[in-house]
Amino acid sequence: MGMIDEEILLDELRNPLTIRKGFARLVSEYSERLYWQIRKMVLSHDDANDILQDVFIKAWTNLENFRGESKLTTWLYRIAINESITFLNKKRIQNNISIDDDNIFLLNTIESDEYFDGDEAQKLLQKAILTLPDKQRLVFQMKYFEEMKYEDMSEILGTSVGALKASYHHAVKKIEKILGETN
Amino acid sequence: METKINKLKEIDKTKNPFKVPDNYFAQFNEEIMSRLPEKVYVAPRPVPLWDKVKPWVYLAAMFVGIYFTVNFLTRDGDKAQITTEQSVTDTRSDTFQPVDNYWSTVHITEEEFYQFLEDQMVDDGYYDYMYNQYYLN
Repeated sequence: MGMIDEEILLDELRNPLTIRKGFARLVSEYSERLYWQIRKMVLSHDDANDILQDVFIKAWTNLENFRGESKLTTWLYRIAINESITFLNKKRIQNNISIDDDNIFLLNTIESDEYFDGDEAQKLLQKAILTLPDKQRLVFQMKYFEEMKYEDMSEILGTSVGALKASYHHAVKKIEKILGETN
Repeated sequence: METKINKLKEIDKTKNPFKVPDNYFAQFNEEIMSRLPEKVYVAPRPVPLWDKVKPWVYLAAMFVGIYFTVNFLTRDGDKAQITTEQSVTDTRSDTFQPVDNYWSTVHITEEEFYQFLEDQMVDDGYYDYMYNQYYLN
């Protein structure tokens, strides 16, 4: 969505008469992108679906608080990422796993999810990605799969471009090492 | 070493291993719109003219207050300065005042004053004498 479109959408969202119409456009425009961002974090389709609904309900409830200091995309991505990380932390607590530990506990989700259709190499890659801490996993996924620009990632994650580059570089090295050792 | 480095590149990242149910996103959009709570709007109360003007009136009153305070403080200072200047002027003009005014401020008698003058003349004569004797001879 270009800048002009975003301006028009914001105008619709600020007008009580057109807010629903504007929000429907927002959902239609961003739901798929946000879904994949969430899905890659939590792996399960059902969990991703629940989180995505929470994201849009939160966005609807807090529309008046959106001051336009950042892009609409950035704002939505931030809500999605926060909801995903909150979900993962809750799951860790339920499974008596330390918040500082990696996400290997999600391995079962890959094995058991009916909506995971990857081959062995894909499974191996997902397992390797799960060894990364949450934020580094986010950085890797945004850069490797979505090919997002570092500047856009910096706005969403609130981290400097330099730190993101370093984080991504280390993530790649770690994953390559795991893939190499496994073979 | 080389094979290890290329392991990541061997995997086709464009192939998404994660699937979604058929027609998921279209159904999701409808479902989420039906779940959204109604927004309650409160009509904005019209702002009275006094509320709009109030900050400017307070600002103006503040500046007027500052002006008068500074004026008052500096005026006292000026007065003190004028009084000092006037007293200096008065002192300076003592020598030019008529003798009558001078006598009203000085606490010595007329005889004492003439005696003082005579003593001065004697001292002056003394010093003249010493000067003639010592320096000229």
